[in-house]
Amino acid sequence: MENETSKIVPILPVPYSRSRQAGEAQDMLDHIVEDFQDNPQSMQYFYDLFRSVYCHGDEVKHEGKLVGTTCIHAPEELIYAFGATPVRLCNGSYHYDQKGADFMPAKSCSLVKATLGMLNSDNVIPKIGKPDLIVNPTTCDQKKKSSVMMEGMGYSVYDLELPNVKESEAARVYWQRSVRQFAVRLRELTGKKLTRKNLQAAMAKTSRAQVAFRKLHNFRLKSPSLILGKDAFLVTNAYFFDDIERWTDAVEKLNEELAQREQSGFKAVQSKAPRVLFTGSPPIFPNLKLPLLIEEAGGVVVTDETCSSNRMLYDMTAVDEWLVHDMVDSLADKYLKPCTCPIFTRNDDRIRRLLDLVKSYGVDGVVYQAFAGCQVYEMEYRSVADAFNKAGIAMLYVETDYSVDDKGQLSTRIEAFLESLKNRKKHKG
Amino acid sequence: MIKLKLSAFVALALLSLNSFGEDTPVAPKRYGQGAGRPSEAQIAEWRAKRAAASEQPARGGAADMAGMPGMGAMPGMSGMMGAPDKPKEYGARSGRPKEEGASKGGRPGGMGMRGGALWLSETPPMRGDGARSGSSRGGMGGMGGMQMGGERGGVAKKRLWLRAGSDPQKSGFAQDDAEAEVATLLVTPNGNPEGEALPAADDSHKGLSFEMPVQGFYRLYLTSRKLQGDTLNVAVAKAEIANIGHGGDEEEINKALVAQRVLESAPIEIVRERKPDEKRFFQLKSGEEQAFIVLQKGLPVQGARVRFVSYQGWSKEAVSDEQGRVSFQIIRDYFPPWNEFEKRFKATYLLIADVTVAEAGTFKEQPYSNVRYQTTLTGNYYPSPDDYASYAWGLGIGTLILLFSGTAVYLYRRRRVQPYREVRFDDAK
Amino acid sequence: MIRQNNSRLQAIRDAVNQVHFNRFRFWFQLLAFALFVYGGYLAIDFGSRLPFFSCGYNQEGRAGVCYLLPLQHQLSQPWPRLFGFAGIAFLTGLLTFALWFIFLNKGWCGFVCPLGTIQDWLTALRRRMGIRYSSYSHTRFEQLTKVKYILLALMILIPLGIGGGLFSHSMSPPFCLICPARMILPLFTGDVTQFTIDFSSTAALVMTALGISVTALFLVGSFVKKRFFCFFCPMSALHYLISKPALLKLKKDGDKCTRCGDCYTVCDMGIREIADDVTTKNIMTDDCTLCLKCVASCPENGALKATFAGIPIFESTEAGFIKRMNKGNKM
Repeated sequence: MENETSKIVPILPVPYSRSRQAGEAQDMLDHIVEDFQDNPQSMQYFYDLFRSVYCHGDEVKHEGKLVGTTCIHAPEELIYAFGATPVRLCNGSYHYDQKGADFMPAKSCSLVKATLGMLNSDNVIPKIGKPDLIVNPTTCDQKKKSSVMMEGMGYSVYDLELPNVKESEAARVYWQRSVRQFAVRLRELTGKKLTRKNLQAAMAKTSRAQVAFRKLHNFRLKSPSLILGKDAFLVTNAYFFDDIERWTDAVEKLNEELAQREQSGFKAVQSKAPRVLFTGSPPIFPNLKLPLLIEEAGGVVVTDETCSSNRMLYDMTAVDEWLVHDMVDSLADKYLKPCTCPIFTRNDDRIRRLLDLVKSYGVDGVVYQAFAGCQVYEMEYRSVADAFNKAGIAMLYVETDYSVDDKGQLSTRIEAFLESLKNRKKHKG
Repeated sequence: MIKLKLSAFVALALLSLNSFGEDTPVAPKRYGQGAGRPSEAQIAEWRAKRAAASEQPARGGAADMAGMPGMGAMPGMSGMMGAPDKPKEYGARSGRPKEEGASKGGRPGGMGMRGGALWLSETPPMRGDGARSGSSRGGMGGMGGMQMGGERGGVAKKRLWLRAGSDPQKSGFAQDDAEAEVATLLVTPNGNPEGEALPAADDSHKGLSFEMPVQGFYRLYLTSRKLQGDTLNVAVAKAEIANIGHGGDEEEINKALVAQRVLESAPIEIVRERKPDEKRFFQLKSGEEQAFIVLQKGLPVQGARVRFVSYQGWSKEAVSDEQGRVSFQIIRDYFPPWNEFEKRFKATYLLIADVTVAEAGTFKEQPYSNVRYQTTLTGNYYPSPDDYASYAWGLGIGTLILLFSGTAVYLYRRRRVQPYREVRFDDAK
Repeated sequence: MIRQNNSRLQAIRDAVNQVHFNRFRFWFQLLAFALFVYGGYLAIDFGSRLPFFSCGYNQEGRAGVCYLLPLQHQLSQPWPRLFGFAGIAFLTGLLTFALWFIFLNKGWCGFVCPLGTIQDWLTALRRRMGIRYSSYSHTRFEQLTKVKYILLALMILIPLGIGGGLFSHSMSPPFCLICPARMILPLFTGDVTQFTIDFSSTAALVMTALGISVTALFLVGSFVKKRFFCFFCPMSALHYLISKPALLKLKKDGDKCTRCGDCYTVCDMGIREIADDVTTKNIMTDDCTLCLKCVASCPENGALKATFAGIPIFESTEAGFIKRMNKGNKM
């Protein structure tokens, strides 16, 4: 007679969709979709995409070799040209943030921790598969130090050397060399040759996406807004892992809808809604906490200066001679020269860019997000605050991380800030 | 047209290459258009006869073929670099007796006045053996370098001297002859086409000066009539002066270029035939073929004996055809040492035409039965560019530098691995 | 009515700003080349004070003469004459030149100069052969950019020396004798007479040998380097000295600039300031040829613009950039 209890009952793994991690994404997505009326219909593609990838854990398909990137500085055109697919590994999940805490000191950037946590987990979400190569541009210290850790996890990592200064000619030459060497590394990886034709096709692919993004961006110039910032962030976040062609098609469709909205005089928000510029550490799904709080409180994020959105797709490449030589160098220039990343020694360009955005988008106030532990953004706060002060623009500095614990407190601060913006507007008007 | 010129260029280049490759002198190109080398007959034709000096023993050698300037000497550099191929008797000019003092030659030379054929000269006779500066700019039909207009002050003046004899260098002033009847006629571009008498000169009797207020060609005719036995000698000395500068009224110059050049009333004259492609600034170059037309009262004269005398005194005689046309190849007779070579050396040639006709009449109430018409024309010629300009060297140096720098650049780009540039892309197949 | 006119004007502006600039410039340059190299056959004459290399040695075809030729001739007159009555002719000549220049500024270089056009053709040839271009490093650039001023100084001092009897007349006009245009432009009308070494005197020998060497270097140089000669052109230096009152201007709005370097990338001359300088409004530098390729390749609305007498005539726009820079995408 056998003991019934001796029977081994296997602990069935909880399906991903019922995991805490999926819940986090589900919760965020529900807020994004359901807290607002009049979401653009063409946004459904993106809602569905995130639901499938983040909530159901569906696989993201790709062609050729998979090249993971940890930063916008990795030239995706080159990766496409070699027939590989780039995927941005920067992660916004609190679940992974906690998992990655083992690798980094207590007070370090959530984004880096989340990325490491994701790479270290068995079940990587988004389910992209194991990258054949991870390109890690040498940007901030925390990312730099991740290289070895990622290697320790069994990934093959390529350090793409980025200079610390971007103004000097030496930096430009140095960076161009880095990019050329990266191309050589990609050749080794893929066994393909970089030709005029495939690079041109790759650049055309990115360029088409950029054009669609720029168009979307231009719709956000309109006041009152046609589309909310949370949707815009979702769109650009999808660019991280979505198929570029499909993504572009979806954005073009969205643009068409926005054009119709414009014609019909549609208002996504009240005319009085304070227009907010979002800058600082990048909001990455599911950590769209702060933009969402702003818009739930009656503000509207009209534009941003973050590497998860505007900075990723805004700057376009000009080529004089469509030869590989010139195309690669031009690409290198595009990835270095206009970059407003705070890792560089000086950052006049960021301040000029912010002021220009304030001016052209009719911005009432600025929200500056700095992840606790993201030193470079924390350090740049002062100079940016001074510049806005001088220009007479109100700015709210928010230091936060991926946890939802501070949501209530943040909500109060944001409401107060938006209220003050409204009052200002009233007095001005 | 361009093709033709280009092929000529190549041919020329080959020719000069040839002449540089070997020591064998190549016949001057100018003497053999097509043939390349003067024929025996041509050489015989050119057998030098010193004008009005055939019996001068000092110059007997001039008839020697070996003494022919240019013959056997190359037009290129070897002639110029001071190679001793200069005819000996030219080196010993100092011993040359004064020509005008010499007795008349075998042919009646003195006509209107004492001392040989009358002609108009831009310069007074050269004294002793002092070298005349050949580089005087401007003058008969010459452009004298690329002077730009609008820089001259005041009205241009021209002074001519009446000289007698047939040596362009040393013939002395014509002596006054009381028996002769002398008349001058000046044809100006804007004046009477049949000319007007030259206003009396205010200074010495030898100079004939006039003003040239407008641009164009000025012709001066000096007619002298004198009875000698039963023959009336009619001598017409003619000079054509170009007053053409840079700038100025384009229309005026174009008009001058097509203006009539024949004096209807001239008892006899020589007209230089213009080449169809002659430009505003024309320079006759040694080695070129030049045709002249002998006219009487505007009608061509057949059978006139025409003598061409070069600057150094070499002469050639020809008889005009039914169109009154006679043609000479301008001999090269300028052979200075290289360091004294002057490419703008202006040499004067003298042309003398004679016609005798049985024509009865009276002169100063004296009857005559024959009239001997004689006319002179002076002009300038310059060294041919072939004498000093070398395509072979030009192309040689050019090709050398081209190849050298091209190879240097190629090797530099190929071999030299500059830091940061060790990876390159070439689309060249 | 006014609004309608405005919208029509805006439509024209948009059309201009979205023009296929390189194509436009190619045809413009071709026409200008034909005009100034062959215009003489049609009896076209723009005088001898032109602010670009319409070479006077191209005697038959030229439709006008580069000012450097008469300038050097005037300066090489005997001093008493030059500092006397001929000085007035010199000054009026300079004034006429300045008037021509003011009209297009350095645009003469980028759009009209036949020698510049030839360099662009050589560049196109290289591009078609798939050979990459060379460029100077920044330090080399800083050194070489001064050469044009040295040449300009020599171009004035040597003729003055000739006029003063210090140098041989066969050195005149010194710059023309070493200028590649003297040899190359007459070639286009089948005139090869400039391809000779003049043995008539030592000075002539040296100058013509130097001239032919420079021409050979020009051919090699402009094959591998975009607008190789313009970098050393004394005319360019002369232009810059009198460029203040010019009508055509290149303006930059630094606030709109993202310093992305697109303009720098396409710049034939490799002028860094065009991308990095965000304070200077009038951005034309002494090396600039005002080819306006930078304006055509700038993706920021109104960051770069060409103005004529203060009126914007060609402006950088996002739409124009997208249209021009999208190889492979049909827009």
